[in-house]
Amino acid sequence: MTRNFLTLEDTTREDLRSILDLVRAHARGETGSPLAGKTVCLAFFEASTRTAVSFELAARRCGADVISLSEKGSAIAKGESLIDTVVTLDRLGADAIVLRHPAAGAAAFAARHTGAAVVNAGDGCGQHPTQALLDLYALSEASGGFGELAGRRVAIVGDVLHSRVARSVIPAFQAAGMEVALVAPRTLLPQDSGAWRLPILSSVDEALLWGASVLYMLRLQNERMTGARVPSVAEYARFYGVSRRHLGDGVLVMHPGPVNRGVEISGDVVLDGSSLIPDQVAAGVHVRSAVLALATGAAHEVAA
Amino acid sequence: MNGRNGTPAELVIRHAYILDPSNGLDGIADVRIRGGRVAEIGDGLRGTRELDADGLHLFPGFVDVHAHWRTPGREDEESVESGSASAAAGGFTGVVMMPNTDPVVDRPVVVSGLVRRVEKESRVRAYVSAAMHAGLKGERLTEMRLLKEAGAFCVSDDGLGTASAGVLRNGMLYARSAGLPVILHCEDHTLATGVVHDGVYAALAGVPGSPASAEDAATATALVLAAETGAKVHITHVSTALSAALVGFFKDRADITADTTPHHLTLTDGLIATLDGMYRVNPPLRPEEDREGVIQALCESILDFVATDHAPHASEEKELPFEEAAPGFLGHETAFAALYTELVLEGRLSLPRLVEAMSCSPGRWVGEGGGISAGEPADLALVDLSERWTVGRETLLSRSSNSPYLGRGLTSRAVGTIVGGQLVHDRTGAKFGVRA
Repeated sequence: MTRNFLTLEDTTREDLRSILDLVRAHARGETGSPLAGKTVCLAFFEASTRTAVSFELAARRCGADVISLSEKGSAIAKGESLIDTVVTLDRLGADAIVLRHPAAGAAAFAARHTGAAVVNAGDGCGQHPTQALLDLYALSEASGGFGELAGRRVAIVGDVLHSRVARSVIPAFQAAGMEVALVAPRTLLPQDSGAWRLPILSSVDEALLWGASVLYMLRLQNERMTGARVPSVAEYARFYGVSRRHLGDGVLVMHPGPVNRGVEISGDVVLDGSSLIPDQVAAGVHVRSAVLALATGAAHEVAA
Repeated sequence: MNGRNGTPAELVIRHAYILDPSNGLDGIADVRIRGGRVAEIGDGLRGTRELDADGLHLFPGFVDVHAHWRTPGREDEESVESGSASAAAGGFTGVVMMPNTDPVVDRPVVVSGLVRRVEKESRVRAYVSAAMHAGLKGERLTEMRLLKEAGAFCVSDDGLGTASAGVLRNGMLYARSAGLPVILHCEDHTLATGVVHDGVYAALAGVPGSPASAEDAATATALVLAAETGAKVHITHVSTALSAALVGFFKDRADITADTTPHHLTLTDGLIATLDGMYRVNPPLRPEEDREGVIQALCESILDFVATDHAPHASEEKELPFEEAAPGFLGHETAFAALYTELVLEGRLSLPRLVEAMSCSPGRWVGEGGGISAGEPADLALVDLSERWTVGRETLLSRSSNSPYLGRGLTSRAVGTIVGGQLVHDRTGAKFGVRA
């Protein structure tokens, strides 16, 4: 039985717990080669480094045959439409299609046109579910288990408006029982910033006063650092960046990467003990192995 | 007010006719001022220092949310010292300074420098409006939160307006996050290609006109965006009947206020016939129908207050044909007198509504002054409503003399202006001393 991973919006707490349990099994190397004989296709319509690499590594470690299409040197570069690429991969016998695309909703669209499991590796400003899963995994491992997350407060800081990561981690953190607040200027929030019914705070300092014990920093794209939405790096870093003075009292700092040092996070904090960034990266392969196993229906055989 | 040395001595103003609609004061009484604040209002108050104000009116000090003191950069036209002296001479106790200076007030260091100069040189409370976009270019946001920390009170791209609605919208959103009000000069530059109002007089004189739509379309855009973004927006120098009506429509739909100017309330585009560049101003003087509409809107409080757009210019910038002259008029020293003479004495506007529009409402907007009540700062204007005077270069304390009322006879004049309990302008004859 295959399963799509398109979004985390309707994922339940129990669902998350069992996925993270499987991730842990993969991390411990208890899972063997569950994808042996399966074909995983990576279709990346948008540049990606760490997501593409960790999916490929995950698929290979689990024994899958891997086909990799990137924007360069494939039919994608020749302007083939999403639907034709998906149908082609379907007919070639892909068991799972891992899709990265610049438009929100691309993964759900692809899923309607293939019998293969579709794993969303990030679609536009839509969703990035495996990122949120690896964030949850890294955070629960650092917190003594998934059950310890309930009741903790996490502040999601930065460019919520343009972030697929935000749209996945918000429901993921909430499903884990965490309280979530957003910290951003209104130029980086959706017009209806009440969409998630979350508190809107105006600085990292305010987030700490609110009681945040996790600061989840979003990446600010270079082209947005100075312009109509953000005046300057100096002002952004001052109010929406985390620096050493914010640390202490067990506050943890997370970031989906790649980090702009000195913008979202000051240089001396990126690899500080309170930074979970290396743990997040390390969790990437295990999470994607588990997700591919679940997506292709190989997982329960392993778990059994 | 900051920078004041010591606490001013007690002062009792006796027998003034006190008019303050915001506190329901309308009659002769005495006011005791102590420690820079109003201590009590009553009858038969006595003190060691007394000012006999028999026959004078006492209002909350006027507050002008729109002035150009040309500092930094053009101190030959106006400085903080001369601008504040000019304001005090007109009965103003609070003024917002616009950022279109040289350099533009768009960086925290410029704001803090200006704040220091105000502390040292200003006779009245002066608030810094910083630019909303760097260089007033309408592209890159200014560091509004750092500007606020440096002492900025609000942001504005005054004088230029903002070219793109998308940029303006982000500016409003960011200003809301920064907790700063926005003052908007509404002008669409694709429409505003002339130098006077595009009407009968422009046609007859052959001076290029800008249509009223240049203001109206930009005002409509600004109001829609204010409603959508939730920003605190003040529309300045509304000069057309349609723009005033648009403001009225949005009154309950957005966090907005609006002002109009003494000159748009008293002068019309008939002055184009003089072909004298003195009368160039932006927005331009409008036809009588627009003036009527703006007066009506002020009477009905659709336009909340009066602001002068005090814009000093050196004579070489004004003694020119319309097309070459710099736009702008002096405003501080003639604002009340012109409105009292042309509107109140003509039965077009009540005196209480004028006081509300010059003192109470703008005072509320800046959060200081605007009322006479015990415990509040003593920011007061003592006015002789019967004094007749002729506006002349020698009567003006501004460094410039580009007043459209030069040579006109006006009735009523500020004779004493008190800021934080100190007389900062004194023509009372009592000579308690003007603070240097």
